[in-house]
Amino acid sequence: MGIDKKPLAITMGDPSGIGPEIVVKTLVDRVVDRPVVVIGDPAVIERAIDITGAALSCRILDRLGDFDDAGIGTTIDILPAVDMSEPPKFGVVSAASGKAAYDAVIAAIDLAKTGEIAGIVTAPLHKEAMSAAGIRYPGHTEVLADKGGAERVAMMLANDELRTVLVTIHCSLRDAIERADFDAQLAAIRLAHEGCLALGIEKPRIAVAGLNPHAGEGGLFGQEEIEIISPAIRAAVAENMDVTGPWPGDTVFMQARQGRFDIVVAQYHDQGLIPVKYMGIEKGVNVTLGLPFIRTSPDHGTAFDIAGTGTADAESLRTALRYAARMADARVL
Amino acid sequence: MTPRITLLLGDRNGIGPELIARLLADPKTADSATVEVLGDPAVLDQGIAAAGVSPDPNGFSVTPFTPIEIIETTPGMPTEAAGREMLAMLAEGTRRVLDGKSDGVVFGPLNKEAMHKGGLTHEDEMRYLADVLDFHGTVGELNVLGGLWTTRVTSHIPLKHVADHITVDSVYDATLFAHRTLASAGFDRPRIAVAALNPHAGDGGNFGMEEIEVIAPAVEKAKAQQLAVEGPYPSDTVFVRARNGDFDAVVTMYHDQGQIAMKLMGFAEGVTVLGGLPVPVTTCGHGTGYDIVGQGAAKPGSITNAFAICTAMARARNAEAAA
Repeated sequence: MGIDKKPLAITMGDPSGIGPEIVVKTLVDRVVDRPVVVIGDPAVIERAIDITGAALSCRILDRLGDFDDAGIGTTIDILPAVDMSEPPKFGVVSAASGKAAYDAVIAAIDLAKTGEIAGIVTAPLHKEAMSAAGIRYPGHTEVLADKGGAERVAMMLANDELRTVLVTIHCSLRDAIERADFDAQLAAIRLAHEGCLALGIEKPRIAVAGLNPHAGEGGLFGQEEIEIISPAIRAAVAENMDVTGPWPGDTVFMQARQGRFDIVVAQYHDQGLIPVKYMGIEKGVNVTLGLPFIRTSPDHGTAFDIAGTGTADAESLRTALRYAARMADARVL
Repeated sequence: MTPRITLLLGDRNGIGPELIARLLADPKTADSATVEVLGDPAVLDQGIAAAGVSPDPNGFSVTPFTPIEIIETTPGMPTEAAGREMLAMLAEGTRRVLDGKSDGVVFGPLNKEAMHKGGLTHEDEMRYLADVLDFHGTVGELNVLGGLWTTRVTSHIPLKHVADHITVDSVYDATLFAHRTLASAGFDRPRIAVAALNPHAGDGGNFGMEEIEVIAPAVEKAKAQQLAVEGPYPSDTVFVRARNGDFDAVVTMYHDQGQIAMKLMGFAEGVTVLGGLPVPVTTCGHGTGYDIVGQGAAKPGSITNAFAICTAMARARNAEAAA
């Protein structure tokens, strides 16, 4: 089967959180048709196997390669990137955990940059733990963009029914309106286009949401649609992309869900996140666009409150792994 | 006392008459209220024919109301005459409640263009009705879907003006208004969530200060009035929680915030409540469906829900009057 394909890497995430548990739960079945290697601390993964009661054993790799079909569903292949001496306590912020999670991500980035792996799926890390370890990045995306050498990255949020790319992300609504200029619109449209191609969608139908109620109602409720968004759409159409809009924000997601569009470019965080979360928070996945390699992640955090109980739901990480595999297949990696 | 509900056919050129016909054909309608149809009997007959239903004539009464001498039905067309008829019908229906002849009004979809042609000078039918009824208090539209009510602090304004309109007073007023309207629909102590303005509810001030400086103080002010209010909550999860039954109402900060979620929940079933008026008035969340008029394809989910909510409001109003 897919044993000759390049492996996907899953980073273990913050070892005080649910990351290792959901990694183990994900790998009890054959989720994707290619090898999967876990990057992290073997002792942390061993503990997660105990907690979840999974019928899996660890196989520690010295290097990538030597995957074998027989191991899928019975062994977890681990590439040790971290040695914590002993697994940390659950549910508390610790510098050691922050550093371990970060080191695993860095190891994965190195493998992705040299082309040894097809892509990275990241289990959740904790930004305060990283900060406690003196690591200045606020999250995964910034680490990946910086170490991966990307100029402009964007998040694509996807679930089974809907995909969306945000023009602006983590800023106040006031700032979002300021930042959603022509360049930001066009960049988001291009990344949406590339993101769909990466998922194997051949001629992506891109819808751009308006900013104002009723997409401005012809200028009555705001000028941004006329002055900024429409010109950016025209520029994208001139680049041979199938882009329409600006569509009213309150109906465009419904239309996308009905299959009329492959992706929606949302103007601000909540415009895209309300529909994505409403339609299935547990199955949401983040895809980072603009990196020189594939990266996906689940749409949730470290869940310190339930870490170590073995109850965490792995569905989002499984979906993230599936998306990564789909993108790797589309690129024939 | 069984509430008396007046049904208005809405725009005669839209799907309103068919929807009212379907509502009348539903045996549950006559069980929950004493129903009268106010309007042109010929238009009701057209609606019954289009819907292909045969409502029990004992289940409702017809109060003929033909304010315009000669009026043609022109399906799918917004006409001046139909607009005048809609305005007259709304005024007459609601006045009947104030006169003690009815307890609430449900109307079929209206067409704004036709009403403007017919002489509407107000922003919408809600302001028109407030004027007709000589009512000067706060009015506001609420959307109801699947048991969840939403109202908003700002509505049809550019998004860049929204933050300037989010004040302690405006958020508090919208919250109090939501509380009172739900109470008027029979909720004992409605559980209200107030949505945040910024992503992650401002992330402790990293993504905007409005939650800390404005919305939280408004929520505290409402709590001090013994209202069951919580928030501000991130808007991308507040609707998920509401769907799970945590809240009866969500107060939203801007138009799309509530509308995105409501439309995903099921656009076709939504109800609009004209809140604040001295008369219970509800209608469909959808429009006149000009493209499907007369085909019998229009679904009655929304009008049925509008009727149920109006009936609950009328019952609560009667109970209050009796107390």
